[in-house]
Amino acid sequence: MVAQTNNSTNGPTDGNDLKISVRSVRKTYRLGRVRVPVLHGVDLDVKSGEWVTILGASGSGKSTLLHLMGGLDRPDKDSSNPPSVKFENRDLTKQSKRALDRYRADDIGFVFQFYHLLPELSVLQNVTIGSMIKHGRLGYRNHRAEAVERAESLLERFGLSHRLKHRPAELSGGERQRVAIARALINEPSLLLADEPTGNLDLKTGESILEAIIEHRQSAGLTLVMVTHDERIAERADRVIRLVDGLVVEENGTIS
Amino acid sequence: MLAMVAVMLSVATILITWSVMGGFLNALIDSGRTLVGDVAIVWPNVGFAHYDDLIERLEEDPMIEAATPTIETFGLIKLPDDRIELISIKGISAESYSQVTGFADTMWWKAIDEPTPKDYKREDIRLDPQYQQIFEDMESNGISMTRPHPKTGAIEPAGVIGIEVTGLNQRQDWGGYYPMPPMRALPDGGAERVDVFMPREGTVGITILALDSEGHPIDPVTQTIPIANEFQSGLYEVDQGTIFVPLDIIQRMLRLDEAKRVEIVKDDENPFAVEVDPVTGEIGPKMKEIIGIDPARVTTVLVSGVEGSELEPVRARIREIYAQFALDHAGEVPSSFQMENQIRTWEDLNKTMISAVKKETGLVLFIFGIVSFTTVFLVLAIFWSMATEKTKDIGVLRALGATTPGIAWLWIRYGAVIGIVGSVIGTAVGYWIVSDINAIHDWMGRTFNFVIWDPKQYYFIEIPSDVDPMKAAIVFIVGVMTCVIGAAIPAIHSARMDPVKALRFE
Repeated sequence: MVAQTNNSTNGPTDGNDLKISVRSVRKTYRLGRVRVPVLHGVDLDVKSGEWVTILGASGSGKSTLLHLMGGLDRPDKDSSNPPSVKFENRDLTKQSKRALDRYRADDIGFVFQFYHLLPELSVLQNVTIGSMIKHGRLGYRNHRAEAVERAESLLERFGLSHRLKHRPAELSGGERQRVAIARALINEPSLLLADEPTGNLDLKTGESILEAIIEHRQSAGLTLVMVTHDERIAERADRVIRLVDGLVVEENGTIS
Repeated sequence: MLAMVAVMLSVATILITWSVMGGFLNALIDSGRTLVGDVAIVWPNVGFAHYDDLIERLEEDPMIEAATPTIETFGLIKLPDDRIELISIKGISAESYSQVTGFADTMWWKAIDEPTPKDYKREDIRLDPQYQQIFEDMESNGISMTRPHPKTGAIEPAGVIGIEVTGLNQRQDWGGYYPMPPMRALPDGGAERVDVFMPREGTVGITILALDSEGHPIDPVTQTIPIANEFQSGLYEVDQGTIFVPLDIIQRMLRLDEAKRVEIVKDDENPFAVEVDPVTGEIGPKMKEIIGIDPARVTTVLVSGVEGSELEPVRARIREIYAQFALDHAGEVPSSFQMENQIRTWEDLNKTMISAVKKETGLVLFIFGIVSFTTVFLVLAIFWSMATEKTKDIGVLRALGATTPGIAWLWIRYGAVIGIVGSVIGTAVGYWIVSDINAIHDWMGRTFNFVIWDPKQYYFIEIPSDVDPMKAAIVFIVGVMTCVIGAAIPAIHSARMDPVKALRFE
């Protein structure tokens, strides 16, 4: 059931230009013997090229929703009201593990709050590893030059061309996050899922990171789903979704 | 790094153990072969006749290098200090025995130019130029089994005794012997010194039981045997309980020498002829005496195949030759059927010893294998800990699209690299230690006064120092496999990790 709000639901319902569509998604975690319901039946549509920001308190299920959209997790099964997470009309809930791996490698990019760079690799290697995963170790040999060129171009764009051979430990928080964004973009995904990308940065650095994402989004026509606590970031998004008690609430307060 | 060191140590330990124990086995087997030749034709106790003919037939065959008659029996030996011991007595024909076996090389008392491996101070009296001629004479005496009489100088047949039989040769920490004069115990509780050096004036008394033509013991026979030299075969059991005596002496003592045979049979020319017994006066059929020769016998013929020949074909050929020999001497020698299991290779003859040493080697390897198997668990524990530490990174890789097998392969490949590097270093270290094991052992003795392998107590002077490339290859492969197996479980665990949990892992 999708609530109508200002001529729209939690996103456009008509178009073939839907990038990702979430329907009736529930998710419950088990903590020992205790079942902890996180999402209670979320519906959400995101158009191609749209920037949707998800706001919500800690534990409201923002990251869980992002993981479900990224194919990292699967929603709870419900035969009476089957859930679906459709990416370009492809239902991720019915995909094999292998297909989900391909989906994450080819179609989406993940940006995390704590960067999650691999400490043993250089900046350049941290970025190109996405390409290596996509093409496989052997296939990467044929794409290496192309990947390195693109990684260098992305890092240059993010002002890190002088840091290519540095290790993550030698970078500032802002620099690390820019490397993480470059890594997410190396395979030219059409959907970027960002989990509080500025949450661990000071205001100024966070702003510069946001600018980098916005600039890239505009030039590449990227669809962006961003989880954040920051209302000011939310204001700049095309659309803001608020998660309250595992349900999606539009800005006007309608509950889906 | 820790895992690599563990693999390196395990590989090196197993390679060293296997090489050294295998080396001892080979040394023991070689020693066991020294005085046996390749194949033995054995008919114990009564022995078999016409052995000269058999040897001639054998030596005519292109597969056979040489053959020699021997008699093997047990007896008692009376030593210069009057001790009496049980001894294995081998009657041999010195010249032909040396052609079949390494007998000539086993003479201990001989002039030598180079010191034995551990004799760094050149303490061996055999090196002394002053005694060179004496030792050369002793060597030739030993090989020919003759010795000049100490007083008359007349050449007399002599025996060669194992170096450890008399107990008068005191083994030194450099692996050689000092001859010590025996002390004879006296009834009053005292002792007197007997000034004798076995190869010059030493004699022993041997006592054996003579056998009749049926092989039954008759009477004990004792004979004094001068000693020409002492031998060291490399097998302690042989060297402390064996004496070689000229074949003809043993044949005489055992009554296996050529003898006149007298048979009293009915006179076939006139079956009805009768005669009166001069003692009893009784009348009986007329008898006559047939006088013949009972040929000399030996209990064993030792055979050596031509250089490079395989044992089994040589044995098979010997069986064929013996079969024809038995046919030609039917009724006088054991048939080929009776000899089926009596034609034995040197391996058969030393089977007990070889299998014991093999079992011991296997047991030691098994124990070290078990110890080294802990490396699997060590690698497993280290990799498990690494996988736990890298949980978040695994989650990131999964988020980037890495597959389950891809993650597993990452760890297994890492384990294989550790295994290969650890095994390469371990094999190299093991190879180096085994190759220089005697120098290392000597250094330990000099520096820490820590001697594991004391030639005074152990029979082999040196620790075997050859590395079999096949063994090295097997140990290397096992080392790599150990790491791969140890890495496989954490690899599977990592690969199956829920990416969401991995990303949230603290």
